[in-house]
Amino acid sequence: MRARGAASAGTPSAAPQRAGSRRPGAGPPGWAGAVPRARRPRAGLAGARLPVAAAQPRGCVSAWCSASRLLCPAPLRTRGRAMVILHAGLCPGLTAEMIQLLKANGIQTVVDFISSDLEEVAQKCSLSYKALVAVRRVLLAQFSAFPINGADLYEELKSSMAILSTGSKSLDKLLDSGLYTGEVLELMGAPGSGKTQVCLSIAASVSHSLKQNVLFIDSTGGFTASRLLQLVQSRTEEEEEQVVCSVGPVKLLVVDSVSAVVCPLLGGRQSEGLALMMQLARELKTLAREFGLATVVTNHVTRDSSSGHLKPALGRSWSFVPSTRVLLESSQGAWGKASTQRIASLRKSPRQPTGIQVELDIGGYEALEERPGASGEEL
Amino acid sequence: MSAARAMSEGFGKAESGAQLLARLEGRSSLRNLEPYLFADEGFPMHGDVIEFHGPEGSGKTEMLYHLITRCILPKSGGGLEVEVMFIDTDYHFDVLRLVTILEHRLPQSTEETIKLCLGRLFLVNCNSSTQLLLTLYSLENMFCTRPSLCLLILDSISAFYWIDRSNGGENYNMQELNMKKCVKFLEKLVREHLLAVFATTQTIMQKSSSSAESSFSLKHQCEAEVDYRPYLCKSWQQLVTHRIFFSKKCHSSNSKGFSIVSCHVKRNHVVKCSFSVAECGVQF
Repeated sequence: MRARGAASAGTPSAAPQRAGSRRPGAGPPGWAGAVPRARRPRAGLAGARLPVAAAQPRGCVSAWCSASRLLCPAPLRTRGRAMVILHAGLCPGLTAEMIQLLKANGIQTVVDFISSDLEEVAQKCSLSYKALVAVRRVLLAQFSAFPINGADLYEELKSSMAILSTGSKSLDKLLDSGLYTGEVLELMGAPGSGKTQVCLSIAASVSHSLKQNVLFIDSTGGFTASRLLQLVQSRTEEEEEQVVCSVGPVKLLVVDSVSAVVCPLLGGRQSEGLALMMQLARELKTLAREFGLATVVTNHVTRDSSSGHLKPALGRSWSFVPSTRVLLESSQGAWGKASTQRIASLRKSPRQPTGIQVELDIGGYEALEERPGASGEEL
Repeated sequence: MSAARAMSEGFGKAESGAQLLARLEGRSSLRNLEPYLFADEGFPMHGDVIEFHGPEGSGKTEMLYHLITRCILPKSGGGLEVEVMFIDTDYHFDVLRLVTILEHRLPQSTEETIKLCLGRLFLVNCNSSTQLLLTLYSLENMFCTRPSLCLLILDSISAFYWIDRSNGGENYNMQELNMKKCVKFLEKLVREHLLAVFATTQTIMQKSSSSAESSFSLKHQCEAEVDYRPYLCKSWQQLVTHRIFFSKKCHSSNSKGFSIVSCHVKRNHVVKCSFSVAECGVQF
């Protein structure tokens, strides 16, 4: 299964500023530190900006959700909200008098109604048993999830699943030929290990080579439009191809970084922060599955107190969310020198044995490629 | 009154003698599901509720794929030819991985045979514990009308734990209310339709080293060895008949990278074994 290139050209929805201040064709300036950082991208979200410090945790999560709804206007699933109070018009056959009688006997929500013994209810409320059974059937059909047959699911997935190449052969090798739609990939690493560079490179590659739309959500201010422009310019010389506006279905979602948004929520009143984090995880996975997106998130690392190994931040509950995890580290031999070599190792994968390592060069203008002459080592 | 009660005894309860026999016979054929997994007698019986517990990446979902293929493969391919209901609460299920495993296990894997096998699997996605409860109610009909549907898999039953805790406020009872209702109904389903249930729970709590916890864990010797701290409601703890702990060996110098400790809860009987995961699935 290979990635499908749609006919519409794509660009990261934070459209990079037109290079009005530089002559086209001039060489790109050195990016390390000399370039002013772009402001947080507006990305057509009508002003919804994600704060770095989550002063209003609920606000930032819902800004995200509303952002995704703006971009994906398909009707979202409504079946999850089932703590519904019975009211007239909820379903055909549920009249106001019925509701009054039920309320008088302690049945207020959908769950109460469905879990009660209908024969008893018919007697106590003096309602028609047949009518109650009919209402129960309709409510169940409306609020519960439908089972799907495995063969039908397979057919559906065969046509809708795609693998997006990241643009780098070594990273593709690590990920078993690329980013799978419907799954979440987590890139973790210490500050400065190259997570944002890898995300930018993947975004540039998917939007240019595969012509798919990318939604880049930046919560740290690390998104540099000029760096993105360099990456895109290295792939094509034509300016029209570089700056293309397109509205269409998004295929890749990049969140850099999710731990910057979630970490401030954890550690206080334990369960509320964790609940928000799990709700966020649920939305991410639902988006990925229902809309066929490939998702990339970045995360910090902490040191395990007992063993001293690096482990991902955000705790155990988050560790069940991504299906693939890649750790980025600096190469050993880069003591004191600014080096652009990084080592990516596979920590968790549903398809491949863990422990595979490849080398990446994040400083180049090309796609992340191995150093000439060095090959990926495997454990 | 008795007629009304007979009518109201759930839909689909009126079945013919042939259906009844088919139901009982179809549901007793889980005997050779997986001898390595169970601590005694080597087969799950009807009414068994088996909990898979372990941290991430320890092979629980792979083991579920292995069990599903054992169930849905035709008898000629070495399977049990029974139907499976899979309830997925965190969008974890990967049908393509299942198809890869099926292709490796079937002698001649044509598209037709794969589709036939997959036709025995039903998948449901749930978004909240309330929806899980209502889905269990609506699935009751399916269990009544399909005699060969004898295995129910819940991956994972602990996915809504934090969200429920936060929704319930300060009151423990409110927090656990939905889960208790789900467990109660699950118990009814298991008892009336003679199902076997496999459910995964995630290790999201660290094992506490306080004295209160350690005196509890001494009751079950297997739990003292593994990183297990029960956090779901009491009614779930009481429903489980087998508990299987998964862990990943850090230094897999030999090829077996994962290990399991299987405990029968009532008899306190412990069995250990290890397995590895390859392209073709779980290998013991």
